[in-house]
Amino acid sequence: MTSSNKYKILVIEDEANIRSFVETILETNGYQVFTAGSCRQGMLMYSSYCPDLIILDLGLPDADGLEFIRYARKSGAVPILVLSARTSEKDKVSALDLGANDYITKPFGTAELMARVRAALRNSRHSSEMGAVPGGIFQVRDLVIDYDRRQVTVAGKEINLTQTEYNIVTLLSEQAGKVLTYSQIICAVWGGTDSGSVKKLQVNMANIRKKLGTRPGDRKYISNELGVGYRMLADEE
Amino acid sequence: MKKIIKSLSSTVFVLSAAFLVSLLFQKTFQTRALIPMIFVLAVFLIALLTQGYFWGILASLAGVLAVNFAFTFPYFEFNFSIPENVLSAAVMLIVAVLTGMLTTKIKQQEKIRAESDREKMRANLLRAVSHDLRTPLTSIYGSCSAILENYGKLREGQQLKLLREMREDAQWLIRMVENLLSVTRIDSRKVEVIKTPTVLEELIDTVMVRFQKMYPEQRVQVEIPEEFISIPMDPVLIEQVLINILENAVFHAEGMTELNLRVSVRGKQAVFEVEDNGCGIPRERLDKIFTGFFEKKGLPSDGRKSNMGIGLSVCAAIIQAHGGTIEAGNREGGGAVFRFFLEREVTDDEQQ
Repeated sequence: MTSSNKYKILVIEDEANIRSFVETILETNGYQVFTAGSCRQGMLMYSSYCPDLIILDLGLPDADGLEFIRYARKSGAVPILVLSARTSEKDKVSALDLGANDYITKPFGTAELMARVRAALRNSRHSSEMGAVPGGIFQVRDLVIDYDRRQVTVAGKEINLTQTEYNIVTLLSEQAGKVLTYSQIICAVWGGTDSGSVKKLQVNMANIRKKLGTRPGDRKYISNELGVGYRMLADEE
Repeated sequence: MKKIIKSLSSTVFVLSAAFLVSLLFQKTFQTRALIPMIFVLAVFLIALLTQGYFWGILASLAGVLAVNFAFTFPYFEFNFSIPENVLSAAVMLIVAVLTGMLTTKIKQQEKIRAESDREKMRANLLRAVSHDLRTPLTSIYGSCSAILENYGKLREGQQLKLLREMREDAQWLIRMVENLLSVTRIDSRKVEVIKTPTVLEELIDTVMVRFQKMYPEQRVQVEIPEEFISIPMDPVLIEQVLINILENAVFHAEGMTELNLRVSVRGKQAVFEVEDNGCGIPRERLDKIFTGFFEKKGLPSDGRKSNMGIGLSVCAAIIQAHGGTIEAGNREGGGAVFRFFLEREVTDDEQQ
């Protein structure tokens, strides 16, 4: 592979040590890496190199990482993977609501980071190539969604979902690999939010899990991001 | 506002009680000698029950008026021209002010003592933790230096061994820091944590995913109710509690072949149970299993990670901050059981 068709990844992180180890892993896995230590520098690099993926730390010295997401979302849909601390759900939710694709909690292992990077890149490729094209089929493990026939099967067996449950499952599948926050799902499925809507979503999700036959800890099709939202797993994850 | 209403109601209540008792005494004993004593007692009680001087003084004034009005000659009429009445009024005022001063002082001292207790606990925690952090840091630093300074000279196997140990120690440090962060998340001044309704199944799923990532070989038998259960909690903290208890079993339940995580519903409460069939908990440790860490005095000087302790102490602090209870014990057939209770959300149809 020549360097020109390598995926370009921009890492924006102010801690030099974390930056250097992330850079090393990414490079050994065949990606071309650019790094920035501040939000401003990140914005400059973003406009000059047009990366395929951005790995962004939220706590930057010169500006909030959320600023960067706002800036990047104005000009395109490049996938953004946020690095966040475990205890700050609020930051995660606002980053995702602004359009970040996924987050990874510090401290993280290299295997986890690479899985998320691959998922984010695959996801962006899918959505730009296929979108919600009719005739599409989604598959993760033995779960298959046939969008045309509005049919969901697990291991070949048809699953009877209600209209709402089907809408939730397809919404998640269309953006597989991406965490959707409670409010994003509620807006897309019900149109608006009210005080009881998170509970309504949670009850629907419980029914979906029951119908798909998942047990706690399985991590088969949909992952729970406590206090944040849900994520359909991308294949091979 | 709530405080004012509470103080006002206790003042009114005690004064009315004093008034009624006085009336009763006057009727039965036909003497007035006891009555000022009863009101002095009432003023004393009010100054004790309320904060500051205000209510005590108010009560003493009211008491003076009541005694003057109802129980001294001329009956049911105010009269301050009799020096005896004025004197009794002055005495009651002095009692009120002095009691107010005393109780305020005592309350302040109590607050200071509680604060210093908390400080002591924190200092102990800090001391123990810094001590515990030093060991893995020393080993990481040493291993790194060994590899760097002998680069190319070490055999591959030796290098890999050092690197694996470094990773293990770093992971241990991460767990320690997670626990410390949990402790700081419970603000000692605020009693309650911030609770959000959390779906039990999602919580257990998150815990199991995280636990299995940490200990892929350890199987856990999970049993939770079929129905939709929502529990108000800080999910990050309760996740930490479950991880700590499960991890405790992995580290300390020798000979364990079975690890169960069970959640059931008992009335308004959700009961979380973690059971193992390992060696159980020695009787002498059982009493202090949740507080041992904070009370630990003589630290071992070499201190190979005294893992036991901080995890469970953090569990107890978290559950307490949620207004729940936690207990530990031994099972009849052998092995340990940890159990904690949290108030769950009662659904609409259950309320009807």
